[in-house]
Amino acid sequence: MNKKTKKKIQISEAATERYLVNERFTIKSLADELKMDSSEIYDLFPNRRSILEFYYESVIIRYQTLTAAIEGYNNFTMAEKLSNLALTVLDMFQERREFVSKTYNSMIACSNRSTHFEKNFKKQLFYIYEQDKKQSTSASVFNGELTNRFIVLHFHGLINFWLRDSSEGYQKTMELVDKWTALVQEINYSSVIDRGFDLAKFAFYNSPLNCFFDFNNKKGAHT
Amino acid sequence: MSDFPSSKFNRGRIFAKTGLKVGTNYAKHYIKSLNSSNSSDKSDLHKETAEQVFSELTKLRGTALKIGQAFSVDQGFLPDEFAEVMTQAQYKVPPINRSLVRSIIKQELGQYPEMIFKSFNSEAIAAASIGQVHEATLKDGRKVAVKIQYPGVRDTIASDLSLAKSLFKRLMSNNGDLDEYFEEIRNTLLLETDYIHEGKSIDRFHKRFTNERIITPEWIPEFSTGRVLTMTYIEGVHLGDFLESNPTQEARNHYGQLLWDFFHDQVEDHEEIHADTHPGNFFLTDDGRLGVIDFGCVKSFPEEFFQDYLQLLPTHLRKDEPEIKKLYTRLGVLRGDPETNKKEMQYYQFCLNYGTAFAMPYKEDRFDFGNPDYKELIRDHTKNAPFGNEPRGNKYFIYSTRAHLGLYHFLMKIKAEIDTKRSREIVNEVIK
Repeated sequence: MNKKTKKKIQISEAATERYLVNERFTIKSLADELKMDSSEIYDLFPNRRSILEFYYESVIIRYQTLTAAIEGYNNFTMAEKLSNLALTVLDMFQERREFVSKTYNSMIACSNRSTHFEKNFKKQLFYIYEQDKKQSTSASVFNGELTNRFIVLHFHGLINFWLRDSSEGYQKTMELVDKWTALVQEINYSSVIDRGFDLAKFAFYNSPLNCFFDFNNKKGAHT
Repeated sequence: MSDFPSSKFNRGRIFAKTGLKVGTNYAKHYIKSLNSSNSSDKSDLHKETAEQVFSELTKLRGTALKIGQAFSVDQGFLPDEFAEVMTQAQYKVPPINRSLVRSIIKQELGQYPEMIFKSFNSEAIAAASIGQVHEATLKDGRKVAVKIQYPGVRDTIASDLSLAKSLFKRLMSNNGDLDEYFEEIRNTLLLETDYIHEGKSIDRFHKRFTNERIITPEWIPEFSTGRVLTMTYIEGVHLGDFLESNPTQEARNHYGQLLWDFFHDQVEDHEEIHADTHPGNFFLTDDGRLGVIDFGCVKSFPEEFFQDYLQLLPTHLRKDEPEIKKLYTRLGVLRGDPETNKKEMQYYQFCLNYGTAFAMPYKEDRFDFGNPDYKELIRDHTKNAPFGNEPRGNKYFIYSTRAHLGLYHFLMKIKAEIDTKRSREIVNEVIK
């Protein structure tokens, strides 16, 4: 993580706290709090909203740093890697729960444009799929933009579940992550679709109905 | 790395599926034996079925697995193959997702394991019903065991016990009052899921017992919370691995004697007893000590019960039948005069036979637990237990028997010949 990113994170984290005191805080008040000049903040962010949104972006940056420090991460299963992504993000959200509770839906989940947080989250999902060699052929074909969008939607649901979770140490959310990632892994590792495709292919080439699709033999197999 | 079923529906479904599997296996075996003159080996069937039951129960973890564990110290209700496979439930359950472990540590200790510890092995070294254990090194260089509680385990206690209770009610011809027994189990399980409570027990046992014969872990409170427990690491082998190394009779007697003495030292103190006497909780160390772990189930019994319970041993050995009847009546096993009531006579006969067999090790100064006839004797009496009728006996029997019977089970497995002189003196001293 370079100096500039560290500074941006420092500013955005301070902004999340200011936001809780006054949702319409000024850049000057934030600069005063951080003992820096307003121009330093304007050099890095165009406006207040971008500072707050960067907090979410920074979570993924910090996730990457934390994950790089995990010994044996490459041996994790797909479910474990997905759980690590979801739980690490949640752990960081927990530190600023009130801010997340007030802004996640408006800034991220219901945003009418694709946010940096979402883009980077999808990128992490892509890395997880790309590195996994145990996936079935059909799963690796289907794991693209559409699947990632579906998982991001689930993740928004997970955040909302977590925000309502009153269990000690958000254990219910942990259980949900565990079940959800176990299911995603099961779907990705399952070769049922591969086998089904194999069978369909066999049936297609060996079925009498095949004649209707045989363009080289226009008269059909029966004639 | 499977997920953890916490809803009552899911856990009930697994219970039902397990029952169905067992039924199907035995039905298949029965049909096969009707059509074939060769009677196939029933031992294979028991083992296969036990492995299936174990695989299903490990999915449940929590309370349901605890019930499974109870069978592993059984002395005759189940075939040997079942008890053997269920013994694995003590420490060989599939571990949970490694990312969950990290997150639980972050939640409980404030930082991820790699930031707190000098090293942390993300692969669990043991996984049991309530939590799993990881090996780690503190920044000061001390090697530790970090026990992590599975998420949602406390929530499953109530639902699993209510499932188990309805199952028991169907098995018993006369339901009687099961509530007090289940209440006792529930309270104990709730304490077992409180790792601060366990940490304090570790502390007391460490101060009382760590010596040249016994080693217990040291609690590290600064790295412990209600759901994460850190303690110093105990090196050693489990009973199963020890037996596989083909040990000498001398070594068998040595470790057996350590456990026998450990149990009776607790009786002598009569303050609290490590009531989870199953092989998974003991390590046999290279320097000839007995390592004792898992202090989640430590029980203190009311003085009155404790006295009556211990009185049973010399009273059975004296064959003092009027006193035996009095004791079993006080302990809630007999509810009438066996001479005039047929059902009470059934209970009395069982108590007389089983109690006498159980007291045998206290008869003379040495006792050979490796004698196969003794194991058979205990098994035969257990098989004739009239437990199908109704629940009987003081609720404290659940854990006193678990500790005492667990001790016998361990000694029979290790085939140790024990010097019982001091323990006999302790029992006589305590009941004075």
